[in-house]
Amino acid sequence: MPSENRIKILPKAVVCEESNLRGDITFSSGCVVHPSATVIADAGPIIIGENCIIEEYATIAHRLEPGASWDVNNILSIGNHNVFEVGCQVEASRIGDKNVFESKCFVGRGVTVSNGCAVGAGIKIHTSQLLPQNTIVYGEQGLQREAIDKQGSQTLQIDFLRKVLPNYHHLRKPNYDPKKARSVV
Amino acid sequence: MSFMQPSPVKYACSCGILNPINKLFFCRHCPKLHCGFCVTHEIESHFCSNCLENIPSTEAKHKKNCCANCFDCPCCQHTLSARASTVPVVRKSEESKDVKEPKDGDSTGEATPPVPASSKPSAVPTTKKMYYLSCLSCRWTTRDVGIPDQGVATGTWPDNECLYQARFNALVEYFQAVVLQEKQEKLEFMRRKAPKQHKFPSLTDRTGLTVSLIRRQIGWNDKVPKAKAVITPAESTSEVEGLPANIFTEQPNLRNVTTIAQRHSQPADQPTAVGSLYPQRRSLWIKRSLRCRQCEHNLIKPEYHPTSIKYRIQLFASYHVPEVVMVRCEQPLVPGKSNAILLKLTNPTMYDMTIRLLTAAPPEDAQVSAETTRVVKEEPISSSPLLKTVGITLSRQNSTREVKREVIDASNAEIVPLESEFVLSQRDDSKEFDEYVQLPTEEPKFIVWRKGNKVLVRLQFTPAEELAFGTDVVLGFFMQYTYVNTVTNASEKKEPTTHALHSRVFITAGATEQKAT
Repeated sequence: MPSENRIKILPKAVVCEESNLRGDITFSSGCVVHPSATVIADAGPIIIGENCIIEEYATIAHRLEPGASWDVNNILSIGNHNVFEVGCQVEASRIGDKNVFESKCFVGRGVTVSNGCAVGAGIKIHTSQLLPQNTIVYGEQGLQREAIDKQGSQTLQIDFLRKVLPNYHHLRKPNYDPKKARSVV
Repeated sequence: MSFMQPSPVKYACSCGILNPINKLFFCRHCPKLHCGFCVTHEIESHFCSNCLENIPSTEAKHKKNCCANCFDCPCCQHTLSARASTVPVVRKSEESKDVKEPKDGDSTGEATPPVPASSKPSAVPTTKKMYYLSCLSCRWTTRDVGIPDQGVATGTWPDNECLYQARFNALVEYFQAVVLQEKQEKLEFMRRKAPKQHKFPSLTDRTGLTVSLIRRQIGWNDKVPKAKAVITPAESTSEVEGLPANIFTEQPNLRNVTTIAQRHSQPADQPTAVGSLYPQRRSLWIKRSLRCRQCEHNLIKPEYHPTSIKYRIQLFASYHVPEVVMVRCEQPLVPGKSNAILLKLTNPTMYDMTIRLLTAAPPEDAQVSAETTRVVKEEPISSSPLLKTVGITLSRQNSTREVKREVIDASNAEIVPLESEFVLSQRDDSKEFDEYVQLPTEEPKFIVWRKGNKVLVRLQFTPAEELAFGTDVVLGFFMQYTYVNTVTNASEKKEPTTHALHSRVFITAGATEQKAT
């Protein structure tokens, strides 16, 4: 594990200072990270795609397996337009686009979440599996269903948060500009 | 009062079933304890638990006990809620008719006004609200099954009609006609069997003409035309469709197969595929009133309006019968070893109570028993005029003789009865706030503590010698208490009467422990 946190925040991302970030984390542009959200990158870097919302007490963890050590190539990639609602805990091995993790849900290690999935509130997925496209996990027993209709997009919510959050919280400054970085390379 | 967990203290109902006090009712007219099994349940009103609309019983019957506006999710049985989405509509000023743009299925945010290139600049892009139903729990929407969005949030949602709806309706119609005809024939038979003696002789009677005779003379049909049997019996077939060929080769996609609960929530067609789940109308709830079977007085009568949770009549036992709460046993429960239990008794009424704890049923007070029998005799007469109008259902209920159960004497411990009776003072809410002064009063030995309407009693008992390790020790005793009845059964008597009532109480004190050797 790298000795210090290396957190890259791209322009237009709103990352509150009170969030708990550990390890090598990249927030793409348009991300919103609420205060007291937790992102832990122990096993490898985490790259979070565009326009993701990580709400309060949500935890995204890329944990070390027993005996393993920090590996730069072991990347947890999270796609675009994902929503991590209040109190969810996500340790999935890969997350695609447009997924919703509802409040207090738990997605364990080894779960691969594809695109357009929704994990219902309070549902715990422990076994490693692949959630196919547009899967909805719902109900007490964690039943799965394929959604035919698309999930509504979160643009209104994300615009609102981007406007409101800076009024009440200190933000981490965007510290990484892809244009400049490209010129360096 | 232990509300969520099972109470160790159980009272024997007058029908012989043991219940905690919060499940019992107290009929002030009998006066006896009743439980849910020995009262008449009546439907007070129908209402929808979601929109809280009150629906008259005839209308509820007509609507098959379903709400007209509320729907349940066919996927997870939660309530569906209407969501609005704005759909752009281009209204051209030249043409009178509106041309609706194909709406984009996405949410409200992305409703961009797509002005076609061909339209004139005078075309005004307006938006229109369209509604769809969505489940907030499992994200099911009416768009999933292809129900088109509606312009109004409620009332216009289509009912899904199953294939054999017409056949079903025909059968219902036919059997209704059959029932009606049978009823008429029965009525006719009764009329002919027992000719009614009219008070006033009518013209037709004197001449020996009956209605049917007149009808025949005029040339009309003798009887009301019978309902024609229009149904054709169902035909059985031996040819059954074979299974599709791919059922053996393809792996089933369990995500598209409905669960048992989903099929049962849609009983008409019981779909096997998720794609044919339709929103189901929400079942109505009822408000229930309870009636004593002996004296036909109401025990529970809720307020009519669905938004109110209050009662007009509420004769819960915990408002009338002293409550017994088990506090603790003094020693571990060992078979054959004398022990003592602390019980807290509370008087919920506005009158002082004299309480005795006995091991055998107290002898019936002659005066009281005489009074109760008189009450029982009197009651049907006094209550009849009102009840006769609705009396059909009641009398039917009463004709089913209830089986008198003997209270199972489950007690397995010997109790030392208290040497004297004691007084439990009335409930006084204002006293709770007063400064408590322990008055140096002479108390019986078994009273440990007393405050207001509560008293802590020490009751000695011995668990039976032969009890095995780990069995529950049950104490059973008769609690005799005086009850002041404020309702007067006879109109001339105004002062409240005092009854000496008793009820059997069983206390599960806990499991026995190993005998000390």
